[in-house]
Amino acid sequence: MADAGVVRAVLADDPVMHDIGLDAALRAAGIDVLIWPVSLGRREILGLEGPAEVCGVTVPTLAVAARGTLVLEASPGHGRGLDVTNRHHVALLPADRIVEGLAEALARTFVVGQPIPSAVSLVSGPSRSSDIEKISTLGAHGALAEHVVIIT
Amino acid sequence: MTVPRRRSRKQQGVTYDDLTGTLRERTVVALADPVLAANLRTAGEAWSEQQAKMKGDYDFDQMRDRARDIRRSNIRDLPALLAQLQNSVRENGGTVVRAADGAEACRYIVGLARARGVRVVAKSKSMATEEIKLNDALEDAGLEVVETDLGEWILQLAHEHPTHIIAPAIHMNRERVADLFREEAGTNDVPDDREGLVAHARMRLREKFAQADIGISGVNLGVASTGTLCIVENEGNARLVTSQPRIHVAVMGMERVVADWDQAAHILEVLPMAAIGYDAANYVNLITGPRREGETDGPEELHLVIVDGGRGALRGTEFEEALSCIRCGACLYSCPVWRNVGGQTYGSPYSGPIGAVITPLLEGPASPGSRDLPFMSSLCGACGDVCPVGIPLPDLLVRARARSSSPHKTRTGIGFRIWSHLWRHRLTYRLTIVAWRLALRIRGKGGWVHRLPGPGANWTEVRDMPSKWPPHR
Repeated sequence: MADAGVVRAVLADDPVMHDIGLDAALRAAGIDVLIWPVSLGRREILGLEGPAEVCGVTVPTLAVAARGTLVLEASPGHGRGLDVTNRHHVALLPADRIVEGLAEALARTFVVGQPIPSAVSLVSGPSRSSDIEKISTLGAHGALAEHVVIIT
Repeated sequence: MTVPRRRSRKQQGVTYDDLTGTLRERTVVALADPVLAANLRTAGEAWSEQQAKMKGDYDFDQMRDRARDIRRSNIRDLPALLAQLQNSVRENGGTVVRAADGAEACRYIVGLARARGVRVVAKSKSMATEEIKLNDALEDAGLEVVETDLGEWILQLAHEHPTHIIAPAIHMNRERVADLFREEAGTNDVPDDREGLVAHARMRLREKFAQADIGISGVNLGVASTGTLCIVENEGNARLVTSQPRIHVAVMGMERVVADWDQAAHILEVLPMAAIGYDAANYVNLITGPRREGETDGPEELHLVIVDGGRGALRGTEFEEALSCIRCGACLYSCPVWRNVGGQTYGSPYSGPIGAVITPLLEGPASPGSRDLPFMSSLCGACGDVCPVGIPLPDLLVRARARSSSPHKTRTGIGFRIWSHLWRHRLTYRLTIVAWRLALRIRGKGGWVHRLPGPGANWTEVRDMPSKWPPHR
C-alpha cells in the first residue's frame, strides 16, 4: 500500500483482519486506518472529499479458483461498497476458502431456508470499461487496482 | 403513495419516438458513414477474436444445450416462478410491482420519486428502462436523470440511442467523446487520451452518486428460490447505483427469472462468455433485499418493477423461444447486417437479429416503426450459431417476416402465388424461363441489364443483371 501511495485504509471488521494484526501494521507504516462502519459522509466515502488514495480491505467468504472470483458478503462490518468506492482494493483470502467452481460457491452462499446476506458481490478483477473505442480501460467506477493476498 | 394517472404521450411503443426517416432511409445513411463502418468492424472483429480464444477452453455446445434447457423450462414455468420470486423478494423486505406495460411501470417509478421528494436519479445500464422510455418519463416529471454506465452516459450527453445492447457507444470515436465531456463540464480542461477520459467521467459521475436519492438498475436474472436479483457489469457503477442512493428501483423484464441457484450459476457463466468472450464479468451484484439492521450502506428501500410489455402474450406461440434471451448481444456482433449498419439504424433499443424479432412482437404487428425489422437479415444463420441459449433466431426471423408482411393481401403476395402456380408445371415453368431470357436479351446492353421495371428495380438499383448466363466479361 505504501508503494502505491495509499494514505488511508478502510478495513472490513473481520476476525481475519484482526488475527494478522493488519491495522497495527498499517498504522506503523503511517497509513490512516478506519474500520467499517465508518462515520464519514457520503462525499468522503465516494472519494470526493478527503484523501484520494484510499484502499478498501475486504475479507471474501469464498473464492472461485476457476475464474479468480471473490465472493464478498455484505454485513454490518463489511460495507457493500468497500471494494468499489475506493481507488485501491486489497482482499485478504484465507486459502481454505477457495473452491473450484462458481456453482459450488453460489450453492454454499445461497442456501434456501438459511440467512442470506442482503448483498453479495462476485468480483473478478478491477473496474474496467471498453465503452470508448472498444479498448479495455481500467478504473471506470470501481477500484483501479486489485490485490488478493492469500493467507495460508 | 399517489400514482399519476396521466398516460405519457411518449410511452407507446418500443421503437424510439425521435426516429428520422424510414428503416430503408436510415440504412442507406448508415452504410454511407465511413466512421461508423470502421468502428463497427473493429468492434465485431474484437468480439469474434475473443470468442475464438475462449472457445478453446470450454465446451460451448454443451454449455449452450444446458442453458437452452434451463431457459425453456423457466419460460414454461414462468407464472409460478414469478409468483415465487415476488413472494421471496417481499419476504426479504422489498416491494414488488407487476406492470402490464411500460407506461404503468413509468407511472409507478415517477410516483415513487415524487412521493419521496427525489431530485436526482442515478441509473445503471438497463435495456428494460430503454424499452419503457423511463428517462423521458422521469425528465418530464422534472427529475434529473444520470446514466452512469460510461457508454450510456456518453450517449445521454450526445442525445443518442445505444448501438449495442452491452456496448452502447462503440460507434463513436474518442475525439467525439472528449468534445461531449468538455461541453458537459463547461471547460476545455478535459484530457484527450482514453485513460484520462475514463478518469474524468469517474469523478463527474461520483458527484452524481453523492446527490442521487434513487438508483435505478436493470436485472439480468431474478432467482425465484431466494428472491435475489443478479446485476452483471464490468465498471462498478451498478454497485454504486445499488448501494449509495437511499432507494433502489430494479426494473426487470418478466422473462428474466430462473428457478434456483444451480440454474443461476450456469446462466451467470454463459452470459459473459457470449457477451464479451471472458469467463467472468468483473462485478456480479447479487441483491437480496434492502439494507438490514446494523448495516450502514445499501438502500433503505428496494422496489422491483416487473414489466410484461407484451412478453406474456408470447408464451405458447411460435415465438415463445425468443423469451429465453439473456441479452448478451452475441447475435448482434455475429450479424453481417448489424455489423454494417449498427444498432441505431433499427430504431429500437433491441437491435440485431433478436431486436428484429422481438421489437415487432412487443409492439404488435401493425406498428409502422418495426414492421420491416424482420427483413434486416440475410438469414445466413450466424445468429443461431452463436446464441448461448439456443434460440433458433433464423427460424424466428422467417416467422416474424410472415407475421409482419401478411403476404396474402398484398400485391407481392399475389405475385408470389401466381409465380408458385406457374412453376408447379413443367410447361409453364419452361415458358416463364424462355420469356424471362428473351426479355433480358431485348433489354440488355453489352450483356448487362442496368434497369428493370417493377419489383426487379430492387435488384438493378444496386447492381446490374446479366442478360445471359454465364455473363461474359
